Amino acid sequence: MRKKSISDRLLSVLIWTAGSLVYLFLTVPVLVIVLSAFSPNAFPEFPPTSFSVRWFHEVVSNPEWMESLRISVILLLIVTPLTVLLGTMASYALARLSFKGKEAVQAFILSPLMIPQVVLGIAMLYLFTAMGFTGSLWALVIGHVIIGFPYVVRTVGVSVSNLDPRLELASMNLGAGPIRTFFRVTLPLIKPGIIAGGVFSAVTSFGEISISLFVSSPQTITIPVRTFNYIEQTFDPSVNAISVIFIIISIIALLIIEKTIGLSKVM
Amino acid sequence: MSGINLEHISQHFGEQIALDDVSLTVKEGEFFSLLGPSGCGKSTLLNIIGGFLEPTKGVVYIGDQDVTTLPPYQRKTGMVFQSYALFPHLTVFDNVAYGLKVQKKKKAEIKQKVMESLSLVQLESFAKRMPHQLSGGQQQRVAIARALAIQPAVLLLDEPLSNLDAKLRKNMQTELRNIQRNVGITTILVTHDQEEALSLSDRIGILGEGKIQQIGTPLEVYRQPNNRFVAEFIGQVNLFEAEYDEVTSTYTVPHFTQSNGKQVQLKAAAFKEKSEKHLLMLRPERIKLSSGGEEVQPNHVTGMLADVSYIGHSLRLVVGLDQGEIIVHASDAAFPELPQVGETVHIHWQPEDIVFLDSKVHA
Amino acid sequence: MRIKKKNQRFHWFMLLPACLFLVVFLLAPLVMMFVLSFRDVDSMMNTLQSYSLSQYLHVFTTDAYVKAIGSTVWVALQTTVICLLMAYPAAYVLVKAPHPRLRAFFYILLVSPLLTSVVIRTFAWIVLLSQNGLINGMLIDLHLIEKPLSMLWNMNAVIIAYVQVMLPFAVLPIATSLTDMDRHLRPASMSLGAGRIRTFFHVTLPLTIPGMITGAIIVFSLAAGSYITPLLVGGRMQPLLPLSIYQQVMQVYNLPLAAAMSFTLLICVLAVVSLLSYLLKRWEARMHA
Repeated sequence: MRKKSISDRLLSVLIWTAGSLVYLFLTVPVLVIVLSAFSPNAFPEFPPTSFSVRWFHEVVSNPEWMESLRISVILLLIVTPLTVLLGTMASYALARLSFKGKEAVQAFILSPLMIPQVVLGIAMLYLFTAMGFTGSLWALVIGHVIIGFPYVVRTVGVSVSNLDPRLELASMNLGAGPIRTFFRVTLPLIKPGIIAGGVFSAVTSFGEISISLFVSSPQTITIPVRTFNYIEQTFDPSVNAISVIFIIISIIALLIIEKTIGLSKVM
Repeated sequence: MSGINLEHISQHFGEQIALDDVSLTVKEGEFFSLLGPSGCGKSTLLNIIGGFLEPTKGVVYIGDQDVTTLPPYQRKTGMVFQSYALFPHLTVFDNVAYGLKVQKKKKAEIKQKVMESLSLVQLESFAKRMPHQLSGGQQQRVAIARALAIQPAVLLLDEPLSNLDAKLRKNMQTELRNIQRNVGITTILVTHDQEEALSLSDRIGILGEGKIQQIGTPLEVYRQPNNRFVAEFIGQVNLFEAEYDEVTSTYTVPHFTQSNGKQVQLKAAAFKEKSEKHLLMLRPERIKLSSGGEEVQPNHVTGMLADVSYIGHSLRLVVGLDQGEIIVHASDAAFPELPQVGETVHIHWQPEDIVFLDSKVHA
Repeated sequence: MRIKKKNQRFHWFMLLPACLFLVVFLLAPLVMMFVLSFRDVDSMMNTLQSYSLSQYLHVFTTDAYVKAIGSTVWVALQTTVICLLMAYPAAYVLVKAPHPRLRAFFYILLVSPLLTSVVIRTFAWIVLLSQNGLINGMLIDLHLIEKPLSMLWNMNAVIIAYVQVMLPFAVLPIATSLTDMDRHLRPASMSLGAGRIRTFFHVTLPLTIPGMITGAIIVFSLAAGSYITPLLVGGRMQPLLPLSIYQQVMQVYNLPLAAAMSFTLLICVLAVVSLLSYLLKRWEARMHA
């Protein structure tokens, strides 16, 4: 339904300009990083004069970055299945159960997202020190799982709410027990939510720093932690190259999430 | 209070033609329905009148004023939407008062006008409620009260009763008619429900595929449809082809040819053009059943009962003829015992009951 | 019904692992930290056996820390307000975009930064704002300034970086509110005589209150609890509580003090979030059955 007079048109122009400026503001940093990553100099220049991939070479040939990559990927491979497992089970259970205090439990399950990460970080540090394995890979695993699995709970929650519970009833009427029903009927149908959640959780783990900074040791420096150290201490343009890699990963992740359950429903 | 004049309205959406040269006039104080199947353009037309759409071509007059380029908030129209569109964050009172506040009326005057509007729809005691506390029918009445509160020149209703269940819809139809008569406001109702249009309107405009098929009173539109489209859209209908025999100057209807070779004759009732073929219409309720095989009536056919549906107040009989079938509606009172499928049935009708439609089949 | 019983047991079994995990690895450490915040330390930063409120007293009587509490809340508030103001046109444009491709494009612009690391997003501002960064480079090239401006290492840089990092969290809930709105409400308002501006303030804006509050809750919590961004862009000297916590843990090793600060921060955030949630609940109650 459109109707335009002069003042209406002016209003539209104003709104679209404002909106576009906001998106520009959001995007400029990304563009700057991409610019820097491909610039041969240590400092970016605008307009760019030449193109080079030397910083990418530097990253790949740097044993420290490669070590961090190894750690980050191993973490991701351990963390993601764990978050998917915990998150899917919890999400499904919450959708099917009803009891007094369910809202409180739901809030508790999603609470890691709401607690300031600095507080989470030091809590983890304290706990792991007391338990004796601070600085180990498992400390990082636990930290990443805690902030990763609420995402899975959310995305699987979307899929489960789209699932007709009568399908499960029908299955059980035909004689299948709840476990069989879950694996044969429910699981295949909530796959999109699981995949989206897994992707979210994986990407979050890959980029996690707030907690990792507290609980990592020199043997377990993930990529974001190393990036942080580099930025704080030196000025190494190869950080730009790392950033571009992150950006590409995030866009791919986004497309996967969009294809599976659609972004609008998750956030 | 104003009438509406639409002159040569066309609406194109890219390649798609939603409205094709539509012209019509709605008289002051008239209850006019725009009737047609989904996608025929009737809602588009209403949106054009309401100012939410600017037509590709054509002019819209409200009263004497050319409002074609005016936005909705500068037209004196009140609109009721299918989804009621009550402001969920405002009370019933504030909803109805909304347009009056825009007009910057004084508080006392607003209160008076709002209560007047609410009493029109019998919801005065609901003023403090929130929309979500009302039933569908109540929400619709508030929507009507809200549109009327600003005392528009024209009231526009876009399928307002479609979301209500059948019984509620019937009640609301009656209420709507009463309110309109009470206030006397020019009203345009868009609906796909032909019973609704027939029972409420002073006149009906039937839209099909973007064009006006016919405009007329309910009686005219039902008994004298212009063409096949209108005939088939309104009520149930039997359609036949008639062939004009130059030699004998009569029409024969192949559909009615009996196995004994006899043709059913038709009086040459009013027809449009003498041409080879014509399309004829016969309403099922015009067909009477006769007892026995006397060929007393001018139009008398014998057939076998293929199907019977009992609807309570009437029966719907499908009678198989030598060629094709014919549908008959008969009142329940005429049948102490229900007829059985397979029975031989004798039916007849008056020549005046046959209506000639345009020889051009509606394209 | 036996099926129902079997079901219930199965469902409870499914819920258990996550709950246990959180209790052990989230609830327990928080409780332990709470207890820790009541302990004293000696001059070597060893934790003593005694319990007292000394850490909290320390927090609330030290000027620097009191200032930090205040400015943390204040910065978070500013960030929230700016985000909401900027989020509106962005959400509008996202929802009203005529082409689905354009909408998808805006979505990618909006959400993909969220999936990168916060280090990266913050680093971009260093590249932009530092003395030999992009903006200074451009301004000098254009001969608008002679010496590079110092745009980093102050609170404004922190707020700008915060806004850019957290803006998507404000845009998305507002966009959801806009799409959830009955699409006939605006035409209804206009048919009653209200122009576009009036319709916006009286119909659209009120109906996006849930989205705005949700966005505010998320942005405020994030802004109040962030330490990476201010560390990189504002420098260690900024009076922010998360920074003080970080310093106490990583440099001073005074865990009990850090614990006391953490709970102070938590309470501040909780207070604001609870207030906003309460407002949201009230509004929803008004609008829905």
